[in-house]
Amino acid sequence: MFKFVLKRIASAVGVVLALTVVLFILQKASNTNPVHAILGPNASAAAVKAETIKLGLNRPLLAQLFSYIGNLLQFNLGTSYRTRRPVSTDLAQYLPATVELALVALLIAVGLGLILGYISIKNGIPAKIFRGVLLVGASTPSYLISFAGLVLLYSHFHVLPATGEAGATQPFQGGFVIFDNLVNGNISGVWDGIVHVTLPALSIALVPAISIGRVFRSSLEATLRSDFVRTARSKGLSDQAVFLRHAIRNSIGPGLTMTGLQLGLMFAGVAVVEDIFAWPGIGYYTTESIPVSDFPAIAGVTLVLGVGYVFINALVDIAQSLADPRVKL
Amino acid sequence: MAVTEVYLRGQQAKLPGQLRIRSQMFKKVRGNTIMAALPLIVTALVLLAPLLAPHSPYTVAGPAFTPPGHGGFLLGSDSVGRDELSRVLYGMRASWLSALAVIASGLVVGVTIGTVAAVAGGWVDSLLMRFTDLFLSLPGPVLAIAVVAALGPSLLHTLIGVAIVWWPFYARIVRGEIRSLSARPHLEAAKMSGIGVMRRTLRHLLPGTFPALVVTASLDIGNLVLTLAGLSFLGLGSPAPSPELGAMSARNLTFLLQDYWTAVMPGIGILILALVGNISGDGLRGLMKDR
Repeated sequence: MFKFVLKRIASAVGVVLALTVVLFILQKASNTNPVHAILGPNASAAAVKAETIKLGLNRPLLAQLFSYIGNLLQFNLGTSYRTRRPVSTDLAQYLPATVELALVALLIAVGLGLILGYISIKNGIPAKIFRGVLLVGASTPSYLISFAGLVLLYSHFHVLPATGEAGATQPFQGGFVIFDNLVNGNISGVWDGIVHVTLPALSIALVPAISIGRVFRSSLEATLRSDFVRTARSKGLSDQAVFLRHAIRNSIGPGLTMTGLQLGLMFAGVAVVEDIFAWPGIGYYTTESIPVSDFPAIAGVTLVLGVGYVFINALVDIAQSLADPRVKL
Repeated sequence: MAVTEVYLRGQQAKLPGQLRIRSQMFKKVRGNTIMAALPLIVTALVLLAPLLAPHSPYTVAGPAFTPPGHGGFLLGSDSVGRDELSRVLYGMRASWLSALAVIASGLVVGVTIGTVAAVAGGWVDSLLMRFTDLFLSLPGPVLAIAVVAALGPSLLHTLIGVAIVWWPFYARIVRGEIRSLSARPHLEAAKMSGIGVMRRTLRHLLPGTFPALVVTASLDIGNLVLTLAGLSFLGLGSPAPSPELGAMSARNLTFLLQDYWTAVMPGIGILILALVGNISGDGLRGLMKDR
């Protein structure tokens, strides 16, 4: 077991190292010259030369690569061309809001996914309709779901707010709104945060929920056909008890793996939804950085998300082998 | 006589049941075939977009913000008075052909790497598969965004960025299929009758990977259409006037609450394309299962 954990973590570290090399190569392949991006187009030749030496761009590529990795290990992600601040400072400001949004979305996605999977294994007309809804849902772009939510719940029925992480009564934008208010015991603040997060989180959660639901459904079908379920049923347990006590725990594994994998795909959705709802997170930071080719900012975002993704998937694998010792990688 | 009668009666009694099963099977296969053929119809339709579109997607054809169904605009007109239907049709063409292009490039790279790995075996296999696993364990869309940010936003660069992350799964499938095929008797026979590696690979192994690849690739079309639309929404695609569905929705977001169709119709275009991809994938999977 210990060996397995060690091996899994070592491979995760290897992947992250490879990611940094990929980012370094991309930076070199980029047609934006960092010196000109920092100094502007009208800098004198002497200033350009001085900045080139300061950034170490005159050194051999391999030396540059090592100092790049060395800087990353000290959380030095370079300076953003757009905000002129260290990328790590920018990320520290924008990351919490995204983490909060993603966690709520993930919670909704897993809950909804399990419900969808459970309902869609039943037979009959309702299940058929339900499968049709799943198919359409899996084909809907996340922004269209946001649009529907905005038109219906904000514009038409006035039940949810359209933008931001918290209402105007909250002085601070960015950071963990729900969590902070919960710690401070500010119930109306918590409610405000929940009201604001509902629509964006729902827009992000729907597509992953459907993928999770599909995987859960097929593993549930396999489990329900197995011998121990037949035994459980023949000893007189009700469908409910068989499902809750025997089937769900044995078929939730693939659903969990899918959840980890969906995290990576979710980010494109997160960025789009943050853009629509003016959510002060790193998706918003990314969309601001793309048009001006602010590569250090994008590289920082890629690195943070890549590291998060790789390690969460490592944790999912470890958790799965803890839950089911037969799982080996 | 009596025997024949019994025999005939037996036949007659059996016949309707048999026919019913036959026709049910036939219906299922026919349904799956129709589902599987949908992408061909969509490809034909998007290629005919210039003939189907009532107006040019670039020129002003009437007053701005005409609601759907008014003034000869089936889907309304946009913020400067261009025909929404024509723009959506051209946008669907761009989305669909982009998705097919990325799938094609992913298949070429994935099949090459997977085949070489499976046929060569040994250290070549482990090296190539390590490389594939590396790409599989990175978050695809994030890496694609980084690639586009480095190269500068444009449709071509977005396609390159997505193509870079869209092959590893195919490589894994091809490698797995070829390795299980290699162990089968007919491959052993081919080997013993002195057929060379090249011919064995091209004539006896690769065709066997075809069913699994076709099903996976067709199920991927929907995902790819959605991913590309998301990236286009974020501003990674072509610049302003070109009719690109994700970008059209993003630019018309400000008009969503007053003139919803300008932002919603392009999204529905994406929905239709992704739905066609998913339905055809399900149909193909059904057909392959029946074989």
